[in-house]
Amino acid sequence: MRNEVQFEVFGDYALFTDPLTKIGGEKLSYSVPTYQAIKGILESIYWKPTIMYIIDELRVMNPIQMESKGVRPMDYGGGNTLANYTYLKDVHYQVKAHFVFNEHRPDLAFDRNEGKHYSILQRSLKAGGRRDIFLGTRECQGYVQPCEFGSGEGFYDTDERTQYLGTMVHGFNYPDETGVNELSVRLWPVEMKQGYIEFPKPAECTIVRSVREMKPKLFHSDDIESAEQLLRDLGGE
Amino acid sequence: MSWLLHLYETYEANLDQVGKTVKKRSDREYTLLPVSHTTQNAHIEVTIDEDGDFLEAKVLEKESTLIPCTEESASRSGSKVAPYPLHDKLSYVAGDFVKYGGQIKNPEEIPFDKYIRNLEEWANSPYATEKLKWIYTYLRKGRLIEDLVAAKIIKLDENQKLIEKWDDKYTARLGEKPPIFSSGAAETSSAFIRFNAFTPDSPEDVWKDKAMFDSFIAFYNQKLGEQDVCFVTGDTRPSTERHANKIRHAADKAKLISANDSSGFTFRGRFKSSKEAVAISYEVSQKAHNALKWLIHRQGKTIDERVFLVWGNDNNPVPNTDEDIVDMMQHSGREIEREPDTDKPYADQVKRAIAGYRNDLTYQAEVNILVLDSATTGRMAVLYYRHLTKELYLNRLEEWHKSCAWEHRYRKDEEQFISFYGAPATKDIAFAAYGPRASEKIVKGLMERIIPCIVDGRAVPRDIVRSAFHRASNPVSMERWEWEKTLSIACALIRKGLLEKEEGEEWNVPLNTESKDRSYLFGRLLAVADVLERGALGKDETRSTNAIRYMNSFAQNPGRTWKTIQASLQPYQAKLGTKATYLSKMIDEIADQFKDGDFNNAPLTEQYLLGFYSQRRELYKKKEEDTNE
Repeated sequence: MRNEVQFEVFGDYALFTDPLTKIGGEKLSYSVPTYQAIKGILESIYWKPTIMYIIDELRVMNPIQMESKGVRPMDYGGGNTLANYTYLKDVHYQVKAHFVFNEHRPDLAFDRNEGKHYSILQRSLKAGGRRDIFLGTRECQGYVQPCEFGSGEGFYDTDERTQYLGTMVHGFNYPDETGVNELSVRLWPVEMKQGYIEFPKPAECTIVRSVREMKPKLFHSDDIESAEQLLRDLGGE
Repeated sequence: MSWLLHLYETYEANLDQVGKTVKKRSDREYTLLPVSHTTQNAHIEVTIDEDGDFLEAKVLEKESTLIPCTEESASRSGSKVAPYPLHDKLSYVAGDFVKYGGQIKNPEEIPFDKYIRNLEEWANSPYATEKLKWIYTYLRKGRLIEDLVAAKIIKLDENQKLIEKWDDKYTARLGEKPPIFSSGAAETSSAFIRFNAFTPDSPEDVWKDKAMFDSFIAFYNQKLGEQDVCFVTGDTRPSTERHANKIRHAADKAKLISANDSSGFTFRGRFKSSKEAVAISYEVSQKAHNALKWLIHRQGKTIDERVFLVWGNDNNPVPNTDEDIVDMMQHSGREIEREPDTDKPYADQVKRAIAGYRNDLTYQAEVNILVLDSATTGRMAVLYYRHLTKELYLNRLEEWHKSCAWEHRYRKDEEQFISFYGAPATKDIAFAAYGPRASEKIVKGLMERIIPCIVDGRAVPRDIVRSAFHRASNPVSMERWEWEKTLSIACALIRKGLLEKEEGEEWNVPLNTESKDRSYLFGRLLAVADVLERGALGKDETRSTNAIRYMNSFAQNPGRTWKTIQASLQPYQAKLGTKATYLSKMIDEIADQFKDGDFNNAPLTEQYLLGFYSQRRELYKKKEEDTNE
């Protein structure tokens, strides 16, 4: 099937915030990106509501290292406060993922053209993505480029032991992708083998915690404009 | 690599330590706290007998006491009425507090009423112990102050009211100032009371009695809040929104986990409340925080409130990243060779120091490194966390001590300077780079930056090496011992820097007579000049030699400065006469080794310090040998 994408993403710093340190404490990064973070990066490269990304595998290329920085986050009351955020340093990952069509958007069924989305995705990836890539948080700029998954030398290649990285957030179940009027968060026990992390599919996650009720945003045909229509409006052929 | 999970596991692995009080050398005590317990300084101890009657009371000198606590009481503040379950302040535990003039902030909510209701519930629960029942029987009577007055612990004024603060006017009527007024409690009503129950069958004090801990834990466990998914373990357990403070020390307000979004952009957007964003189970939060507190007391190092902590999961000691070889040798109980045979491969010494920790490298032995600090009073951050296998950690440590290594002579052992080979302690690196008066803020910053160099094998930041190099090149700015220390530390850093170069140059302490590197040769020249002049000066003459005085400008303009130094050497050469022949010859020999055009004014590179050190050491060693013969 022509829906697979392989790429590498890297940057000087990354902050995949552990939610425990996010609700009022000082942000501290998870040691590896979450499924949702990778999905977000992929959606920055190219995304249309027609498609949904599934992240298959992640490969950690560089040693997991941390570095803290003093930052001045904004305060609601005005001004700034002081904090120490702890970032991952010098990150480099390889990702293997694929897209599927979002069955919960029947209104976009006409757009389910695999070859088209595949080609645009590959082109966008080659160009470094359509939108800014950032690693976890906005201040951590990241860069993407196509690569062959599993190629090159990684730091953990020779590490025979399976590393247990603890329970981590996998991602969110949003109503427009699940068809259930609920926002829920998925957790999973993360294991890394020689730098490789195989993500379970969202539906396979056993620890799911309901956050609250949420309805998907509805779209009508007036809200969206098809590319063909746009082309015609612009006076193309 | 979840730090909370590893702290939780550490707690579980050390369950046998729970509740055991250990005294530190500084006489401070610490304990691995049981779940739902905390410590407080008690001022008065009240003992109850088996019939639930008052037996005796005594004033304590700020004794740290292990007390049960609820989530609410652990974080009580201001005017909030939230009693501790058993031991508490006088205003909570005395039923006759109001009768004796105690001030209650809100008449609707009398602290004692709430306290005794809670205690009743516990005492009547199936988890209650005998001792608890006696204490409850006594306190229900509501006559604590009456009994304390009768026991002459606290005093009443002429209106039969409690004396909150001692005033000299009472001395005339009531005699000497009772000890409770100097026990540390701000007011009598806030004196902290701990209860004991005396019985010959179970002589254990109530606050040290494991049966009491278990009783409260079991009782409190069934009162915990809703079940939720724990983000640390993934299990569904009773969760909590309140987390521990006092992590570094008793006065520390900073929390690692806190929830607050009425001010500050934190989780807002996707979530409406902190509960939606995340959940952590009560048990994990308690155990992880308690383990952390215990570890900090046991083996943490605090510099300007920043905590550096290294611990293993297998209970065996692990060497700290901030130690030098002498520390390590001492901690592993090994003898330090006073004067090691310096020319044999140095690595042996390092290897031996670290071998002490390698003894039982059991499978899955792991090491955690954690650095904590807070930027503001309320919040604490994990500045660095690393979890790695013990073997890898020890290898990295050995690598660090082998690569960032030089011969040092500044450590003292039993009043004697000892010479050791290895990497300097991180604190000493800070002093070498920033001077001995470097503030703790700077030291802690440097220590945090050095940790990745040790643990991940990164290059030492250039600014640190440059700074140490420049200070070492300027001996007149400091005292002799300080300069010597700075010099050997700078050499260690320079050596590591050169090893890391792509070509990987290895420079060692023993003199390299083959090297044609111009900086190294210039360094050697400087050393010979220094030794020559020093030799000509008498033993009592302690002034710096010309070589040392010109060192700084020598590093900048070696060609020109060397002329000056050589010119000023002549009187000493003359004074020494034939004794100086050997050294004068050596100067010529070294000068001979310069390649064409190398003897110029271009500033010297860092190698010159290595040349200086090695040459000087070589000469002094030779001299010693000569005198021995």
